[in-house]
Amino acid sequence: MQDSTHILQEQITDAARENAALFILGGSSKSFYGNPVLGETVTTTIHNGIVEYEPSELTVTVRGGTSLAELTRELSSHGQMLACEPPGFSDDATIGGAIAAGLSGPARPYRSSIADIVLGCRIITGEGQILEYGGKVMKNVAGYDISRLMTGSLGCLGLILEITLRVIPAPERELTFSFSVESLESAVFVNELRKKGLPVSAASSIDGTLYVRFSGGADEISGLEKTLLKSFGFVEQNVQADNTLWVEIKNHSHAFFNLESESHKNLWRLSVAPGKNVSAFYPNDSARLTEWGGAILWFKSAAEPEIIHRMASQSDAQATLFRSCVNESMRRFAPVSPALQQWYTSLKSAFDPQGIFNPGRFHDWL
Amino acid sequence: MADEAAIHNLLKELRDILQDDFILTEETQLRPFECDGLSAYRQLPKLAVLPEDEQQVQAIIRLSHKYAVPIVTRGAGTGLSAGALPHPEGLLLVLSRMSKILEINPAAMTARVQPGVRNLAISEATGRYGLFYAPDPSSQIACSIGGNIAENAGGVHCLKYGLTVHNILQIKGFSVEGEPVTLGCGGMDNAGFNLMPLIIGSEGMLMVVTEITVRLLPIPEHVEVMLAAFDAIDTAGQAVSNIISAGVIPAGLEMMDNNAIRAAEDFAEAGYPRDAAAILLIEIDGAKSSCEEQLQKISNILNTSGCTSLKIARDDKERALFWKGRKSAFPAVGRISPDYYCMDGTIPRKSLAEVLNTISTLSEEYGFPVANVFHAGDGNLHPLILYDANIPGQLERVEEMGARVLEKCIAVGGTITGEHGVGVEKIRQMPLQFTDAELTLFHKVKAALDPQNILNPGKNIPLLKHCQEYRALSQNRVPENLISNLTPAS
Ligand SMILES: Cc1cc2nc3c(=O)[nH]c(=O)nc-3n(C[C@H](O)[C@H](O)[C@H](O)COP(=O)(O)OP(=O)(O)OC[C@H]3O[C@@H](n4cnc5c(N)ncnc54)[C@H](O)[C@@H]3O)c2cc1C
Repeated sequence: MQDSTHILQEQITDAARENAALFILGGSSKSFYGNPVLGETVTTTIHNGIVEYEPSELTVTVRGGTSLAELTRELSSHGQMLACEPPGFSDDATIGGAIAAGLSGPARPYRSSIADIVLGCRIITGEGQILEYGGKVMKNVAGYDISRLMTGSLGCLGLILEITLRVIPAPERELTFSFSVESLESAVFVNELRKKGLPVSAASSIDGTLYVRFSGGADEISGLEKTLLKSFGFVEQNVQADNTLWVEIKNHSHAFFNLESESHKNLWRLSVAPGKNVSAFYPNDSARLTEWGGAILWFKSAAEPEIIHRMASQSDAQATLFRSCVNESMRRFAPVSPALQQWYTSLKSAFDPQGIFNPGRFHDWL
Repeated sequence: MADEAAIHNLLKELRDILQDDFILTEETQLRPFECDGLSAYRQLPKLAVLPEDEQQVQAIIRLSHKYAVPIVTRGAGTGLSAGALPHPEGLLLVLSRMSKILEINPAAMTARVQPGVRNLAISEATGRYGLFYAPDPSSQIACSIGGNIAENAGGVHCLKYGLTVHNILQIKGFSVEGEPVTLGCGGMDNAGFNLMPLIIGSEGMLMVVTEITVRLLPIPEHVEVMLAAFDAIDTAGQAVSNIISAGVIPAGLEMMDNNAIRAAEDFAEAGYPRDAAAILLIEIDGAKSSCEEQLQKISNILNTSGCTSLKIARDDKERALFWKGRKSAFPAVGRISPDYYCMDGTIPRKSLAEVLNTISTLSEEYGFPVANVFHAGDGNLHPLILYDANIPGQLERVEEMGARVLEKCIAVGGTITGEHGVGVEKIRQMPLQFTDAELTLFHKVKAALDPQNILNPGKNIPLLKHCQEYRALSQNRVPENLISNLTPAS
């Protein structure tokens, strides 16, 4: 537990004075995500620790550099958890980095996104100012929602010093069932499960097999097999009581995400309406994995980024080049409309007038 | 700001785009639009326009921008912070005619709607697919989804299902220049700046929203509603904490005090115990087996937390009746008092008893009765201060008392508004919650998206030159001895 507010603030003020670029780095678990940044490194891990945790209020306030694993452990010792199960990708991930990356885990469609659980934050702006927004309460609409704007900002707007999150009680029990349902039909199938009141908490399709996790009260989960038999007339083929599959999927340690044998390909993430036919994105029946009941498609492709982005926008979807086979700047993120580009750049200057934070991480113009 | 010539030219060009019937300039036509749900603030705009589609909205925005005429967007006008109060020099952009449900996608569990669609109309239309839209403000029969977006509206089921911001997947609309803007895509989350939450709750100050994709949820298979009575309000507050601490998150967890109970009972005959000091309304939903499990758990907690009587709704009819009392609490209170002033502070749940004590002390000091209605699970309070606006001086005193309630909310780590927004009404309390530097960033954000300050100018974020004055006012007003009383016990 260490408060390094002043060190971080000084580093930022110095850089602002010299107009020097900074690369904000947590545990370096997601350095692959986004374009490489040239700049002096600001290490947030020196600023860490849980500042205030009130299990009965369902809130936790934590310094940005705190390890995600440590936070998760502390919550779990009180029977609580982060609803969106953010991916860490490695044991070194920090909570600040998880917020800045804006990525949510398997339960996203059924519980909340990472932005959803943010209640308040304290940041350092590009001018070295320390500002606080939101708070420790569940509902707060005073002023603009700066806290949630920080999620997914990849360190381009400010350094996240402290963050207050909503936590939830962890389920008593979880079970994962597998079903042989084609991925196109999986969205509808998962919806049917949910309409029967079954507590779906994750749904992922891997090469034609649909895995569904249910989380809830002990009795409720024990009665699942009977309910499934009664409502759908069949019993599952395979049941897993532990969470390994979901941890592997979210952290990309699952075999699907191994790119070694396909080193010329990039790993793409497509955000799309469940039920939409996206077979054009993975030609020749190549491997793909969907999450969130079909709202996320992962696929590997050697195609030019521009082509994939264009296809995505034609499908009312958004593609992100998640892991590139080369470490250089390219169109990893979907292009934005001229009006939005204007918003991005003017918001960037509102927070970071000299553009010292993570230049180029998203786009070469930002 | 706009002069007469600008308005004249604007009107001339508007008449090429819109039928005359939908351009209002006469006082009698404009009167119905002079206020929102907070009628203490009234103002006529220069003109009001009622477009029917996006092209018209875009053209109106472009013209207003060209002539630098302020635009105030209006949904259904049920807002409670004067957010849709017209600008005296401006145009009121009324979106109530844009009320089409454009698409329901049962596979993706989404609905795409225009901004003027009423909140409840979404659930009514999606019900046949077994789906509903969760955020349910008590005004849901009337308020528009566009207004919900602008205020980040909440409702009695937000404890489990979240606020508006948690249930929106895509927003389309126009920037102040009239450029089309799309936030989000057909999927759930996007890479890039997370602008959707910035727009949600921004009170019509950053863009005009013309199309919304909402997330739908399956209608729960089973629902139970419990009505628990208590003979002290503190005990009821503690019971709320005990439920949440036990790891149970009900779909809704609402509390009413005796004044609110009696008003609601007179109005709705909901079956509330008229002599209880407080009641809790608790809804749980899900699969039948899971509801039974939760019902048992909550009943046990209530019984060991000092609950004096517990009723469980027998059927749909009684369930609806229990909720009717709660959802009509505002109009019910409206019947027993010439006027009421509705507050919206939010506090950590643990401070409930302390804040309620302050409210009752203030109620005695000012001589205004208070009826309390809360979203207790979320710590969102709605004290309704009863007064008579026709008695000179009462409105000012009520506002002063209200300000002191909000100061208390901030003192315990809460906020001045949980769901109704700042608008004009709470702008004087903003400097108590934010420093000048924090407010400055708000102004910069506004200027980033609306450099000429055309969209809903003057609302939400106070000008810095007024802030010192507001802060000083609040300090001078509260006598020393009360400040120490207001400070939370350490
Ligand atoms: C009896 C009663 C009960 C209520 N209960 C609740 C409750 O439980 N929870 C709750 O949260 N609120 C509640 N409210 C407050 C109110 O209903 C909500 O704030 C609602 O969201 C306002 O919607 P509206 O369509 O009436 O918006 P309006 O009042 O017309 O406008 C509100 C704000 O939104 C802006 N706006 C409207 N449409 C757009 C658009 N398309 N694009 C950009 N900006 C826009 C306006 O400029 C204004 O700033 C209640 C009000 C009443 C009268």
